[in-house]
Amino acid sequence: MKALLVCPGRGSYQKAHLGMLQDAHPLIKTLDEFRETHGRPTLTELDAAERFSGTRHVAGENASLLTFGASARDIALIDSKKIELVAIAGNSMGFYTALYAAGCLSLLDAAHLVETMGEFQKGNVIGGQILYPMVNENWTLDPESLAAVAEVCQEPDIHLSIRLGGTAVIGASKEGLRKCMEKLPKRKQGAREFPLQLPMHSAFHTPLLADTSTRAQEELGTLPMTAPKIPLVAGNGQVFGQWADPKAILDYTLGAQVHDTYDFTKSIRAALGDYAPEAIVLPGPGDTLGGPIAQIMIQLGWRGLRDKQDFLDAQSSESPLLLSMAWPKQRKRVTV
Amino acid sequence: MALSRAAIVDKAFTERLLSIPSHPIREDLDSPVREGTTLTARQTFALFESQASSRHLDLAARELKVDGQSFYTIGSSGHEGNAAVAAALRPTDMAFLHYRSGAFFMQRARQVPGETPLLDVLLGMVASVDEPIAGGRHKVFGSKSLQIPPQTSTIASHLPKAMGAAAMMDRHGRQAFSPELPEDAITVCTFGDASSNHSTATGAINTACWAAHQNLPIPVLFVCEDNGLGISVHTPEGWVESAYGNRDELAYFSGDGLDIVDAYEAAVDAVEHVRSTRRPAFLHLKLVRLLGHAGSDVQQSYHNLETIQNAEALDPVFLTAKLLVEQGWATPQQLIAAYESLRSRVHALGQEAVNRPKILTAEEVIAPQAPLDEDAIESEVSRLASSDERHEFWGERLPEADRPRHMAMQLNRALGDLLVKYPESLIFGEDVAKKGGVYHVTAELSSRAGIGRVFNTLLDEQSILGLAIGAGHLGYIPIPEIQYLAYLHNAEDQLRGEAASLQFFSKGQFQNPMVVRIASYAYQKGFGGHFHNDNSVAVLRDIPGLIIASPARADDAVAMLRTCMAAARVNGRVSAFLEPIALYMTKDLHESGDALWRVPYEQTSPHVAIGEGKTWRDGSDLTIVSWANGLWMSLRVAERLKNDHGIQAKVFDLRWLNPLPAEQLVEVAKSTGKVLVVDETRATGGVSEGIFATLIDGGFEGRMKRIAAWDSFIPLGEAANRVLVQEADIEAAVLQLLGKDS
Repeated sequence: MKALLVCPGRGSYQKAHLGMLQDAHPLIKTLDEFRETHGRPTLTELDAAERFSGTRHVAGENASLLTFGASARDIALIDSKKIELVAIAGNSMGFYTALYAAGCLSLLDAAHLVETMGEFQKGNVIGGQILYPMVNENWTLDPESLAAVAEVCQEPDIHLSIRLGGTAVIGASKEGLRKCMEKLPKRKQGAREFPLQLPMHSAFHTPLLADTSTRAQEELGTLPMTAPKIPLVAGNGQVFGQWADPKAILDYTLGAQVHDTYDFTKSIRAALGDYAPEAIVLPGPGDTLGGPIAQIMIQLGWRGLRDKQDFLDAQSSESPLLLSMAWPKQRKRVTV
Repeated sequence: MALSRAAIVDKAFTERLLSIPSHPIREDLDSPVREGTTLTARQTFALFESQASSRHLDLAARELKVDGQSFYTIGSSGHEGNAAVAAALRPTDMAFLHYRSGAFFMQRARQVPGETPLLDVLLGMVASVDEPIAGGRHKVFGSKSLQIPPQTSTIASHLPKAMGAAAMMDRHGRQAFSPELPEDAITVCTFGDASSNHSTATGAINTACWAAHQNLPIPVLFVCEDNGLGISVHTPEGWVESAYGNRDELAYFSGDGLDIVDAYEAAVDAVEHVRSTRRPAFLHLKLVRLLGHAGSDVQQSYHNLETIQNAEALDPVFLTAKLLVEQGWATPQQLIAAYESLRSRVHALGQEAVNRPKILTAEEVIAPQAPLDEDAIESEVSRLASSDERHEFWGERLPEADRPRHMAMQLNRALGDLLVKYPESLIFGEDVAKKGGVYHVTAELSSRAGIGRVFNTLLDEQSILGLAIGAGHLGYIPIPEIQYLAYLHNAEDQLRGEAASLQFFSKGQFQNPMVVRIASYAYQKGFGGHFHNDNSVAVLRDIPGLIIASPARADDAVAMLRTCMAAARVNGRVSAFLEPIALYMTKDLHESGDALWRVPYEQTSPHVAIGEGKTWRDGSDLTIVSWANGLWMSLRVAERLKNDHGIQAKVFDLRWLNPLPAEQLVEVAKSTGKVLVVDETRATGGVSEGIFATLIDGGFEGRMKRIAAWDSFIPLGEAANRVLVQEADIEAAVLQLLGKDS
């Protein structure tokens, strides 16, 4: 089956995932050694904790590699007889995982990138991020919410950080965050209330991170990037193929990826519209990208999906469109 | 079963590639793809992918056609060298592309992240509503984000607008109206060798040269993709070079479109010339046509097998792959794998495309054709220029201080005020500048607004309208003048096929707003003969979405001109504004000195909505329906009928010939039960046919009669009045309708 792989972003490793890396997978062992060399707690240790700690597990310097490791391990378990990956995308930090999965970076070079960018966050959270829904309960676009987001993003120091399907991730300075909380109409979806501020997240993918980008180019500018073996879709919708210029990939990774909007919606739209995969595989941890991807497919009318119910029906059919490795039944379709 | 030519070409790609010996693989992809060129191997791989993508789209179109899923099979096979032209350009260089531009489109899409050109083209082939530019209304190459306005032209009717957009590109302050196009942007248009003979091509190229001859900037690249054939007709050997290779103002570049390196180098040189000198260039790319003209074209019926095979041997997609293999950049297997991967992607995307929704209703079809936001238009009309701005233009004495004047004078003032109100407006045409137009309607506007905003053009109506369309694409609101209605006819397709269709074929994403002023109709005292007294508007009335204004008196003319400008600004609409020449200077109505056809000028006027007619005089005996000269005559006759016969005639002025004021028309007809239509256009195809149809459709069951001009060209002198409607005819018809003629 031809599939698109979509790697999750940093916040994906959550309480429920504690213990998922305890199977002594060689890839995790390699990453543990990498952590030890740098004098940091290993993934296995972090994963073995009895309780999920905000300061420990959510902090950038730990959360990033935990997510990367968990994703990379899942990707290693994909059965190439069942799944032919035709393109690879990611969300936010998941783009670094995608670089690894596409063959642009080795495991350790990707880990170095993830770790360094995560490390930049230690004690240095710049502004913050806010989630706000742009769809209604049926997962179709809500014009009023779209307009509210567009309006608030006109303010200085408030930017669209990630266009995440039906959700806007807004990045802003501290003052901007306060304005967002005040100006965006209150909305409730399920148990969650919006606008919702994300803890310990910088205003990634906004101009507020320009200095971080400069620093990244200084410290990571020699990363041995190569052209992908499997087409790689960036956060601006750019597709890098087998003859792409590695320098362009590196420039994007350390430049626009850091300080411009990560347009996840555009990247998935480009991946679908260029490769028409039969399914989309979501490696762990978790399945948080499932909703946004479904919302994007609904926006496109992909495979005839028009609303949430269409998507749920498709998922319960013989050939689900999304295969999340966090769900045992779907995982079986993907792994050996 | 014998293989189709498409299958033969497809199969030959792999077989021929495998026959080339492999070379040691080189990895320094940023080196020249072959010695002596600036084109790198990496760029060549990208070009190969664009070319192969285009080829697979052609193949898919034919496969989908077999299944009844595709509706368009004119392809790009053999022309894939045009990818090199896209590579030499920027995605902000506005491109007007003909229908063999698949590889150009693919290559340009690579330059803008997030594009999905394969799916988009497939959605066009299957006429899906999800196709992003035309929404299933036509298979076109078009994209807002790629600066490619969609063209449906199968000839060269898109060349005048490409020239027109280029002519506007370097205007001072232009970026205020089209900020998405950088200062040094250029325009490009592509067409075939056969189309290079079309009058629109020769006219547009001539106009570009005419401008360049005067050192006016006109950065346009004409790309002639010469496959030597116009469907089945051969282009004479050397003809294109002979026609375009020797013009002083037109830099001529030629390239081998089958050799991607040569095509690229020629394109780079041509683009560089246009961009740096701001002068026109002609890029002559020689290539071949594969797979016939379209899926339905059996080339074997006019070509022998050897000719067909000779062309197929020159398959440009294969030749690019061959270059990459022979120069050691890739193995045949790698390129075949890439080629097959594209086939697989296009196939999968095709399956997605065929399941996408189609347009289901007529309402959906026409939705983008004629947007009309009436409230916003009225509000726009009421927006006024400031007093300071007006004084700067008019001087101390504003035009409203003058006494009542005739239509030509008040139109002149309205145009002046519109120039003040809309800094993006331009007035141009033959003799409109210093001379002020044949009838002085544009008198002194050039000296007041500057020669940059009110200027003379050369004598070519296709180019005048092409300039207007191009200006509209760049955010201007042009007010071109066509000197006489008869002169419009040689250029009419620029309104019909191009200007009026743009919003329809782009879902309103591209607009070319304009108000085309046309000195119209017959009855001139001073200037006789058909070409200055034409009374045919049939070619305008059936153009979907075209607004046709036809005022009779100065006050309406001023108000309606303001409405047309507001519709251009608000909804991007195209209007034809028909000015009755014979009423330009008319001062009186019933008798000499009554001054009833003169009105004062005001900066504001009661709003006249599009399609809103006007009742001039009330009466219960019958309703006379007319407009323009017919209205003036009808009002005179109605007065005489009242005085001489006691007949009370209601007189209704259509004012708009499209859309007709249908509801009002039926209402005024029903109010008297008897209708006389006074139609100064011809009996056949004239407006009265539409009026009668409107009345019948609207349920009018009373008596109807019409008088119209004869089906005749207009002769010189007094004889003209033998074939034109006369006041005596109106009077007689009224009496007959009322049974008082005996």
